[in-house]
Amino acid sequence: MKRKIEFLKEKFAEYYSNPNIEFPDRFSTRECGFLFFDRGSMLRHLSFSTEKELFQFLKERIPAHSYYSSAYYENPGAPTMEKKGWNGAEIIFDLDADHIPGAEKMNYEEMLGEVKKEFRKLIEDFLMRDFGFDIEEMKLYFSGGRGYHCHIINEKVIKMGNRERREIIDYISGIGLDERGIFHERIIDTKMYGKKVYPSSKRLEMPKPNEPGWKGRVSRWIIEFTEKLYQMKKEGKKEGAIDYLLKFEGIGEKGAEKFLDELSDDRVKRIKLGILDQSSGIRKIFLKEAVKRSAIDLSTGKADEPVTTDIKRLIRLPGSIHGKTGLKVEKVTIDGLKDFDPLIDAVVFGDEPVKVKIVRPTKIRMKKEKFNLNVGEIEVPEYLAVFLVGRGNAVINSISH
Amino acid sequence: MLEKIAKYPFLKDAKKWVEESGVSVQDILYDRAYERTRIRGKERLRNAMDKADIGESGLATEPECVTEILSYPIARMLATCVNDPYLNGRYSLAEARHAYKNLGEEPTSFIMDVAKEFDVDLEVGEDLKIHFTDYLKYSPTWSDKWKLVNRPLKKGRIEISKMNGARLIQEALRKRIYSEIIDARPSKEMMDVFKKEILMIKNELMMREEEEVTTGEASVAKFPPCMKKLLGAVQSGMNVPHVGRFALVAFLHSIGLKSEEILGLFSTSPDFNEGKTRYQIEHITGKISSTEYAPPQCQTMRSWGICFGKDELCKKINHPTSYHKERWKSVKKKKDEK
Repeated sequence: MKRKIEFLKEKFAEYYSNPNIEFPDRFSTRECGFLFFDRGSMLRHLSFSTEKELFQFLKERIPAHSYYSSAYYENPGAPTMEKKGWNGAEIIFDLDADHIPGAEKMNYEEMLGEVKKEFRKLIEDFLMRDFGFDIEEMKLYFSGGRGYHCHIINEKVIKMGNRERREIIDYISGIGLDERGIFHERIIDTKMYGKKVYPSSKRLEMPKPNEPGWKGRVSRWIIEFTEKLYQMKKEGKKEGAIDYLLKFEGIGEKGAEKFLDELSDDRVKRIKLGILDQSSGIRKIFLKEAVKRSAIDLSTGKADEPVTTDIKRLIRLPGSIHGKTGLKVEKVTIDGLKDFDPLIDAVVFGDEPVKVKIVRPTKIRMKKEKFNLNVGEIEVPEYLAVFLVGRGNAVINSISH
Repeated sequence: MLEKIAKYPFLKDAKKWVEESGVSVQDILYDRAYERTRIRGKERLRNAMDKADIGESGLATEPECVTEILSYPIARMLATCVNDPYLNGRYSLAEARHAYKNLGEEPTSFIMDVAKEFDVDLEVGEDLKIHFTDYLKYSPTWSDKWKLVNRPLKKGRIEISKMNGARLIQEALRKRIYSEIIDARPSKEMMDVFKKEILMIKNELMMREEEEVTTGEASVAKFPPCMKKLLGAVQSGMNVPHVGRFALVAFLHSIGLKSEEILGLFSTSPDFNEGKTRYQIEHITGKISSTEYAPPQCQTMRSWGICFGKDELCKKINHPTSYHKERWKSVKKKKDEK
């Protein structure tokens, strides 16, 4: 343990002697907090008025994890929230591997890939398309750990309180979506009994795919999904299609088979026009799946701990390094996001060989090089050594100078 | 014109009219010619307490309109003098609801003008359009219909109907009147002129509180600060987040209130929808669902942002219901000592 700390501290000290940190906006109004390699509790309620002061602190104290507040305060260094004087806060969307279903079965690289996919959906489909944020208002970062952060810096948004922030989260997570507002039953034929008119035939309709908000989103998903299934059917992959359908909650083998049998050119065309011709049972499944698969899970899993709604949370300092990976909290542009690879672009340490003892077999590709490491002593490049030791997949026996 | 400002006496145009009319505060306070105005002013407050609306008044003739316009500052002065949080909330809500009713009948252009005065950023397209930040500021989002997720959000803007626009103005107006009443300081002169009325209203408010306090086992005075505040907010029609409503209902249920009684407490809220509220209450209390929800503990209340600050007793407990129990215990103890 002592060696681990010594090793990481030494490496982090090298980085912080000349760090690549973009001094955040209005930094002197923000609170800072740090966790250290050899100290349990967080040191918080700190504030820095100049870049020099901050860099000096990092260089001297070599924190394992560095954070700053999304909020702006009158007195960021004050010990209590009342005395700090809240002056607004950025909105921060925090996507982490925890939110990805099945993440526990993935390796680090796969996990990062999945999170990035979700993150792009968040940025493009929600924040830009629906919320209309400009590229200049969004700052994107790789978290250095298992996810991505998006900071929204928009004057109107900064002043929003908890209730309003909660609504934004609910929107993106599809919470509280009202089915009645999406599917409509249209009466297409009537019958007369005596002097009264009764509906004799009804059909189920959904919104146009280009309608704004969740209406269009649900329809887009349903169309895409039907086309995909029909394609599978045409290619003779009926079993695969049924397996896919069976993953949906509330659909059985019979239902899946029936749905697939009824799929035809004409049927797909009708669905594209918004005509569903389905029983209300199927409709519920459609909606549920459409919401589940197009929403983004932003909560931390615990319903009582909404991340983005917290107007006084701390978030990783851009440009600092993550104590458990040695990777940098790296800025990403929206255009660059597609090709961004944290295991290349967020690596800060060098290639010098370091001797480590692998304690947990690890497969990883870093800086384009593939490593397949089994338990035992081995020499690896410094960047990988920091990563492995930080994550506890390897231990250090001696420090090479 | 006169009728319009009588309907909306909070607008700049109304203020301008009063200034140009040459009527002084002295006139309104003392002159016999304004006796009817003073009566209507008091009536605005009384109606606010009774039915959360300031009530209708004839606007057919010019004198009737003038009475209505001038009764508005009277009512506000009175509210400032009484300086009671419940009354302030109730009265600002009543003015706002009254305006909402009238706004529904107005052409879109007028709604746009009023919105502008209240910094509600409305835009006219085929329908009205509003930026989501302004929408969220003023919409009652605890109601499904108003939740952002159920609105057609596109490039930051939401299309809303004229009535929806009027509803948002209602909330903006309520907030503004409320904060103006709170910020105003009563003059000694007003306190003297309205001495009798102030005392009457204060007594009445006290009696109402007693009435509420004796509802069964639930003594509001023994509620923890969070629940007191949530209940007050719900009753005076403020925007209460869903978690707040949930916590409040679960709390009221846990201290022994029946669904009907809880419903009764909620019924004074504007936008009160009996069927829906009943459904929500019965869901939480386990009457129509298999789960009976327990009220959240203090820590959860804090993380939900609905703990508004602790008092001395709060520091010793970690659950809102324990607070209530402790309070009852101390009452019993005092009785026993006697």
